[in-house]
Amino acid sequence: MDDLLVQSVLVQWRVNGKLHEIEAMPGMSLLDAVREQLGLTGTHMGCQTGHCGACTVMLDGRIVKSCLTQAATLPRAEIVTIEGLKRADGTLNPVQQAFWDEAGFQCGYCAPGMLLSAMELLAEHPEPTDAQIDTGLAGNLCRCTGYRSLVRAVKAAARKLQDTSGQTPG
Amino acid sequence: MSLYPSFARPNSLAQASELLAGLSGGSVIIAGGQEIMPYINHGAMQPDIYIDIGGLKELRGISEADGVVSIGALTVHRELQGNAIVAEKLPMLADAASRAGGGRQVHNRATLGGNLVAMHPLYDIAPALLALGAEVELVKAGETRRTSLAALMHETSHGLGSEAILVRVLVPAMAAGTGWAYEKLKLSGGAYGSANAAATVQLDAGRITAATLMIGAVADRIIDAAAAVQGLIGQAWTAAAAEQLELRCPALVKQPLSDQQGSGEWRQAMAGVVARRAMAAAVARAGQK
Ligand SMILES: Cc1cc2nc3c(=O)[nH]c(=O)nc-3n(C[C@H](O)[C@H](O)[C@H](O)COP(=O)(O)OP(=O)(O)OC[C@H]3O[C@@H](n4cnc5c(N)ncnc54)[C@H](O)[C@@H]3O)c2cc1C
Ligand code: FES
Ligand code: FES
Repeated sequence: MDDLLVQSVLVQWRVNGKLHEIEAMPGMSLLDAVREQLGLTGTHMGCQTGHCGACTVMLDGRIVKSCLTQAATLPRAEIVTIEGLKRADGTLNPVQQAFWDEAGFQCGYCAPGMLLSAMELLAEHPEPTDAQIDTGLAGNLCRCTGYRSLVRAVKAAARKLQDTSGQTPG
Repeated sequence: MSLYPSFARPNSLAQASELLAGLSGGSVIIAGGQEIMPYINHGAMQPDIYIDIGGLKELRGISEADGVVSIGALTVHRELQGNAIVAEKLPMLADAASRAGGGRQVHNRATLGGNLVAMHPLYDIAPALLALGAEVELVKAGETRRTSLAALMHETSHGLGSEAILVRVLVPAMAAGTGWAYEKLKLSGGAYGSANAAATVQLDAGRITAATLMIGAVADRIIDAAAAVQGLIGQAWTAAAAEQLELRCPALVKQPLSDQQGSGEWRQAMAGVVARRAMAAAVARAGQK
């Protein structure tokens, strides 16, 4: 039985479309793996307690807080970080573009959580109510904007996605 | 503690149980990690061994048989919110799970098992499950046992989290016409309630024939307010009955919590307020489909 115990786990992740094999030490968070081992520093560290949302990534199609996820528990995974949101031609995706157009962000530290939360929200509720937007963004803190511009940007993103109907967020 | 912790990902419940039984301690079970990672990130917890239970299929899935809904311990909050069986048979559980804080990211990974094993008085899922009379299935050293969640919450040596594995939660499907409500009174926009209440009620010709009421977030344990509810049986839900309930509940809170969610004295008073609100909403819902 003891032979089940290992000192590190070789994990295989497809990150933003590219396959990586990394050695995950027990205890290490997905946040540290993404930033330190993969060098994808767009995923931000704000609290490491699960409150701020700046470390959000998409894991197997669902948004998660990477600081609360242990890397070694993900032997295989499909991960999208904020670096992976832009379109193949390098332009911003419709949700990112809406945040840009509406000046949704100020410093942008909260961007990973806000953008990925908006994308998951709009995939489920293409025409979200104000209450749905509040719930959808609830896992994220923003120190700059007072949230109004973020809500405005989500609404603009919803319209943008409706206009280019048939297109899913991202 | 060890500078170089080890890690194991067993792929069956039997294997996991055997592994845990053979370890002399210092091991920590990890499911979604939402509870323990903050402590690990900040060095407050430094386990020697992590046992990742994410690969145990026995801990997954939601099904119903003979009027009992069986929910695997690895079920995440988001599934509790959206699963068709839970929505139809245990709407109060779906509602309580949707009221948890942390946002969508946490709901996508936080497991039912982890939420219950944490036994945190401010959490939302246990009050709802207690009000519904839930039972749990545990495995320790290869032995499976079933007990009520209420009894488990008073056990001191269940070993969950290090030696024992919570496998499933078994909840009697809510009878047709059962009124229910989960109330969460929050002082701020933060995650936790200052007083929470889960209520179920059955009515017959306008009179209360049965009711359950659990009050959370006001003391270090969830309070079963059966004593306060007893006086409602046989009565109609009138303004006087509501007032009676509101006044009886604070007396059940012997040692109120006093923390960021509010002072003890206020929490004690709010125990009555959430109890009244939950029961009123449950009565309003009773008999409706
Ligand atoms: C920001 C934030 C806000 C939150 N707000 C709320 C809230 O408002 N209301 C609420 O109810 N909850 C809230 N939670 C708590 C959340 O629901 C729990 O942290 C989560 O459910 C834990 O599940 P997990 O699988 O991630 O646990 P883990 O961190 O993996 O484990 C938690 C504990 O349970 C043990 N464990 C886990 N699964 C099992 C099992 N099957 N058998 C035996 N032991 C097990 C572990 O050993 C550990 O001790 C919040 C969490 C966060 C991060
Ligand atoms: S760093 Fe993960 S939630 Fe703040
Ligand atoms: S724009 Fe600065 S934290 Fe949100």
